[in-house]
Amino acid sequence: MRAFMQWLMAMLSLSLGWCISAMAQTGPQPAQALVTAVATAPTRPALVDHGTVSAADTGWMMTATVLVLLMTLPGIALFYAGMVRRKNVLNTMASVVAIAALVSLLWFAAGYSLAFTPGSAWLGGLDRMGFAGLDFQLAAGKLAVSHVAPHIPESVYAMFQLTFAVITAALLVGALVERMRFSAMLIFIGLWSLLVYAPVAHWVWEPGGWLAQMGALDFAGGSVVHVNAGVAGLVCAWFLGRRTGYGREPFEPYNLGLTMVGAGMLWVGWFGFNAGSAVAADGRAGLAMAVTHVAAAAGALSWMLGEWVVRGRPSLLGLCSGLVAGLVAITPAAGFVTLHSAVVIGLVAGLACYWGATGLKRLLRVDDSLDVFGVHGIGGIVGSLLTGVLASETVGGVRGSLLTQAMGVGAVMAYSLIATAALLWILHLAMDLRVDAQSEQTGLDIAQHSERLGG
Amino acid sequence: MSEADKLAIAAHLHVLLRRKTGRVTDTEWMAVNVEYALEIVRFARQRAQEDNVPELAQWAARLDHAMQAASPDAERHPLADVPAQAVRQRIAPPPELPRYVGGIR
Repeated sequence: MRAFMQWLMAMLSLSLGWCISAMAQTGPQPAQALVTAVATAPTRPALVDHGTVSAADTGWMMTATVLVLLMTLPGIALFYAGMVRRKNVLNTMASVVAIAALVSLLWFAAGYSLAFTPGSAWLGGLDRMGFAGLDFQLAAGKLAVSHVAPHIPESVYAMFQLTFAVITAALLVGALVERMRFSAMLIFIGLWSLLVYAPVAHWVWEPGGWLAQMGALDFAGGSVVHVNAGVAGLVCAWFLGRRTGYGREPFEPYNLGLTMVGAGMLWVGWFGFNAGSAVAADGRAGLAMAVTHVAAAAGALSWMLGEWVVRGRPSLLGLCSGLVAGLVAITPAAGFVTLHSAVVIGLVAGLACYWGATGLKRLLRVDDSLDVFGVHGIGGIVGSLLTGVLASETVGGVRGSLLTQAMGVGAVMAYSLIATAALLWILHLAMDLRVDAQSEQTGLDIAQHSERLGG
Repeated sequence: MSEADKLAIAAHLHVLLRRKTGRVTDTEWMAVNVEYALEIVRFARQRAQEDNVPELAQWAARLDHAMQAASPDAERHPLADVPAQAVRQRIAPPPELPRYVGGIR
């Protein structure tokens, strides 16, 4: 039976690979039409002279890349590890580190090409598959640039986008902690990154993607990163089932101090995430940085006030969650809105996400352990929709449309839900996704890694 | 009183009993089975007195009240009491689940 399942998995992988190639090689090349306005701009990754890239933009984008990677390592690792029970802290951290390594390799193996090279409206091409491209020729004075970011080396742009792929995958850990087998988690996340994240990134961010063509606005990943991860997290949590004792016993967090340190790193790193998404060291990046900060502050305060009114006490975890809610919601809007709008987005997101992580959570009756959907899913939806309402033509050069934004978010939610559920269903035929009851009781640090937290 | 409110009280008492006395109880059963709930109420009151833990007695009283209200005998009361009872329940804040039960936030 097991041999049959392994054969089935191999065949499915081959079929998926074939489908991806077929999708990538068919369909029109709409990116070319979009970029013809600038006669000299490349329409696909190309070799250009050294002198055509901007040193300032390149320097800023390298800095932004480092900031975004810091959000995952150690930002997300600390943020999540502080919220799980003591016996699962190391497993949570190990999951984040392993995901960062795995997704990094998969990105250069296939993900970057599928997301950011011209192909069809649904999926990118195969030009950069298998660690190809990102050329640098010292003697000839040439280097590769992406058609999406022609002023910086393609190596920098690919690395910047890699950090987004890494953090999106790492966010999922929050929904499946304390009960998923480490090996199953790695296989699932690896496949999810290629089959769910890369196509959605192509739809929204590659100029030929169908959502980009439709005019959906997503400056730094409200739908690609947060709605996508939120919905996938909810599906994971539902598929894995509740942790033993959920709803009957208190699951005391190990150390909310670690969570606060992680949240602080997220706040700082988010400047790279949002201002970096301007792909230039310019005024738009500066404004993106300012609105990011204001929205985080407004989100923290509105969650705090909401909790104070409802529960009678403001909590540190509430403040940390609120600032993340504000940051999530401003993400799609960062390059399109004014400071005033950022305050509104932050205030609304703080309250909406507080409801998402408490009231909605009780309604859904799913053990989304660290509220990936409640914070990232709801925050991403709120931010994406408000971008349609509050986008300023003066700031971003485009007007928003609530309908277009709703269609974009709906499409990402639907694809993420269906593709994630299908992936988990196929995987569960081949392997156990969840640890056994004894291992869950013992804790995943010992059961999965034979390690114990010191002290 | 709603099922969710009874479950919230039972969960709170479950946590208190485990922390203060080491006794492990079945929360869901406590919220639906009157006989079991009353036995837990008796035990909690006894230990509250022996160990001087007034909080235990307070939550035992809440569960006792919740289960008495749910029993068929308690359904028969003067018609005039019905709106008064409804108003009292609306004014009283709903019992909150103990911290970290059913969610971290």
